[in-house]
Amino acid sequence: MDARTIIESLTGKFPEAISEAEVESPIRIRAYVDKEKAKEVCQYLKDSLQFDHLCSVCGVDYPQRNEQEAVYHIASYDHPVVLMLKARLPRDSPEIESIVPVYWNANWYERETYELFGIKFKNHPNLKPLVLPEEMLGEWPLRKDYEGFPNKTARNLV
Amino acid sequence: MIDIPEFIVPLIPWIRGLVGLSLVGAIFLGAMGAVWIERKLSADIQFRYGPSRVGKFGLLQLVADAIKLFTKEDMRPRNADRLLFDNAPIFMMSSVFLMLVAIPVGAVFINGVEYPLAVTEMDISVLYIEAMSAITIFGIFMIAYGSNNKYSLLGAFRNFARMVGYEVPLGITVVSVGIMTGSLNIVEIASSQGLLWNIFLQPIGFIVFFIALMADMGRLPFDQNESEEELVAGWITEYTGMRFGLGFFAEYIHMILGSFLVALLFLGGWNVPAFVANNPVLGLIAPTGFFLLKTVLVLMTIIGMRWAVPRFRIDQVVDLSWKKLLPLSLLNLVWAVGLGLYLGA
Amino acid sequence: MEEMLGPNEMIVHLGPQHPMQPGPFRLNLRLKGETVMDAEVELGFIHKGIEKILENKTYLQGITIVDRICYLVAMTNEECFVGCTEKLLGIEPPERAQYIRVILEELSRLQSHLLGMGEFGEFIGFVSMFMYTIKEREDVLTLIDMVTGARVTHSYLKFGGVRDDLPEGFKEKALPVLNNLKKVISDYEELFGSDRIYRERTVGVGVLTADVAKSLGVSGPALRATGVPFDIRKNEPYLVYKDLDFKVCTETAGDCFARVQVRLNEMRESIYILEQCLDRIPNGPLFPEGTPYGRRTPVMRVPAGEVFHRVEDPRGEMGMYMISDGSDKPYRVKVRGPYFPTLQALPPLIKGTTVADVAAISGSMDGCTSEADR
Repeated sequence: MDARTIIESLTGKFPEAISEAEVESPIRIRAYVDKEKAKEVCQYLKDSLQFDHLCSVCGVDYPQRNEQEAVYHIASYDHPVVLMLKARLPRDSPEIESIVPVYWNANWYERETYELFGIKFKNHPNLKPLVLPEEMLGEWPLRKDYEGFPNKTARNLV
Repeated sequence: MIDIPEFIVPLIPWIRGLVGLSLVGAIFLGAMGAVWIERKLSADIQFRYGPSRVGKFGLLQLVADAIKLFTKEDMRPRNADRLLFDNAPIFMMSSVFLMLVAIPVGAVFINGVEYPLAVTEMDISVLYIEAMSAITIFGIFMIAYGSNNKYSLLGAFRNFARMVGYEVPLGITVVSVGIMTGSLNIVEIASSQGLLWNIFLQPIGFIVFFIALMADMGRLPFDQNESEEELVAGWITEYTGMRFGLGFFAEYIHMILGSFLVALLFLGGWNVPAFVANNPVLGLIAPTGFFLLKTVLVLMTIIGMRWAVPRFRIDQVVDLSWKKLLPLSLLNLVWAVGLGLYLGA
Repeated sequence: MEEMLGPNEMIVHLGPQHPMQPGPFRLNLRLKGETVMDAEVELGFIHKGIEKILENKTYLQGITIVDRICYLVAMTNEECFVGCTEKLLGIEPPERAQYIRVILEELSRLQSHLLGMGEFGEFIGFVSMFMYTIKEREDVLTLIDMVTGARVTHSYLKFGGVRDDLPEGFKEKALPVLNNLKKVISDYEELFGSDRIYRERTVGVGVLTADVAKSLGVSGPALRATGVPFDIRKNEPYLVYKDLDFKVCTETAGDCFARVQVRLNEMRESIYILEQCLDRIPNGPLFPEGTPYGRRTPVMRVPAGEVFHRVEDPRGEMGMYMISDGSDKPYRVKVRGPYFPTLQALPPLIKGTTVADVAAISGSMDGCTSEADR
């Protein structure tokens, strides 16, 4: 199971969903995935290509491109390849399908990404804030245009 | 009998009162000593120094702690039941003092005749002592229900299961000792052992009694009600200041009295060889000294066991008492009856 | 959890401050008598906003901040961050620096496992265990202090190497400590294995099977105790681990006893790795030749790129995803802590057990809430 075969199998199965696939090193692959098909791709990875370990789900904010990205890192317990999938989302209303039915431990990662960036995960069992207090929902602190100190501090908000 | 001069007779009630007060003071000092032993012994087991700054060897540490407890603010939770909350430590203290009246703390031999040092001497003192030790549970329940705190409540549930399970083997073992001796008077049980201690005659009874006593007193490995890590000090979470001090000291006095019981029932009490008893000087101090030495050894064993083993889970505690200790104690009872008949005949 | 309670049920909050926890989090339990019917974990009491802070600090300042993600195992946190940056810069530390890094990380692993075992003993009532392991841990911390100057939160690594060399006579001071630790570990194993009450409290408690553990996303000693030999030092070797000889410790039972056993074996393997390193460490420069990176880090602009680097933390798999846009501050750093998925897996594990077992299970997972919250 090396990087070449994985990339070829992925692009063979989902030719229109995966774009800009690149093999950076024998153990690192990256690709852009279409946001509608992210869950299917993850299901295929888990079932056929032995990618059963979700490392993390996070979000990145690109205000100059007017986009946000949801980044998935998926690895395996059997082979050392780590696959990085990125989904481009519009910055005004970022929404993507939740992958909790595929990987159980994505639950908290998605909750955290939601409260820090505002990326809504559809069909998530329990999308409430995890590390921030409930009153700060809507602030999306990790976006690049968050004011922070001195106008938005814990003293003013909570 | 000793001849009492005439002029002392009207003063006898005052003398009795004085002796009683000094006994209370002595038992408090004893409790302080027990806490000091615990802190130093546990520090020794764990490779550290115990209290060593306040007074030589840290002996005055308990005085400093008592002063601190006296000067703390008396708080109670807002929704606590005042009647139960305020009076529970008093209840616990009273129960240990009620136990104290029947336990002899030593004996003196004057002209070869034995005078036990007990406040009263009852014919059923062994049963009385055990009944009074069971009253402590009322105090614990009052605290747990009156504190308006879920942690205390969980502690009370566990207490109930533990006490119900361990009172039965405790009582059966104590009664088997009484059956073998032919009397329930603790002074007679102690003095009738001679030099053949009951521990050699009833070894199973000793083991069952020791385990059940540790469970009764709530010492590790049986301290589920106050297990710090799960229940944040369990039943005594909401207490501060001297109320906490009363409950704390009540537990240590209970421990001392338990060690007294073990020494009296199984380790021969104050019995000494005849040549010591007939000696005018040694007869005054040796029996009591020997008895107190045995008590301190038992106390140190009970304290040391706390730091050597982890804690049971509550279902394992109940399992131990009903499935293992109870059959053993019944076996011991049968053995004691047989031994009593043989020795009596 | 908010639905109507049954007749004998009550909700207990093992709240943010509790003697049983490795850090502040709230565990809501719905109890029926002593049995846990339902559980829920709430986080966020120690959220420091580290990811946002790192975006406003230069890379050099970031090393000090990344230390504090989990202050007890600061070395692996730093290794992750510095490893990411080195991959972006395209440099690699020379061999001596790599050996020194491995030595310090294994020492850090030793002291973390000692503390974890001691805390586990304390949670089930075995307070003396805590005192013994803390006493041994002091020796290891003295060694780390000798090299880095601090017992925790060292700020010792630099891009391309380490800040200071090993002091004179380090090997002579380290070998007696390691020999003493070997003896002490065998003592602990015998103490744990022969204690009847300890076995009753831990054998068969909190059992994880391999499939359940994999689907829950657990990693580290908790996963290795179920039989899955997943260790990043073997799967994806970094630094000099590919030259060192050690084995991955696994057990098959998956209960609390097995997890503690895995930690004890891992400590033995760490000591073996340390002895090999101290033997084989070569003389040489601490920083790569011909580059401007040295003990005084130059004003750096890191070339643009993205990288994901993983290391083996004592608690599991730690990863960092770093995006750089060509300036002197990172664009985005995502920290993936090892205790985050383990804490997430706690509610399904403790359903159906008693309150006393909650203490044992959460203690055997050996966590640090600070890195779950970041």
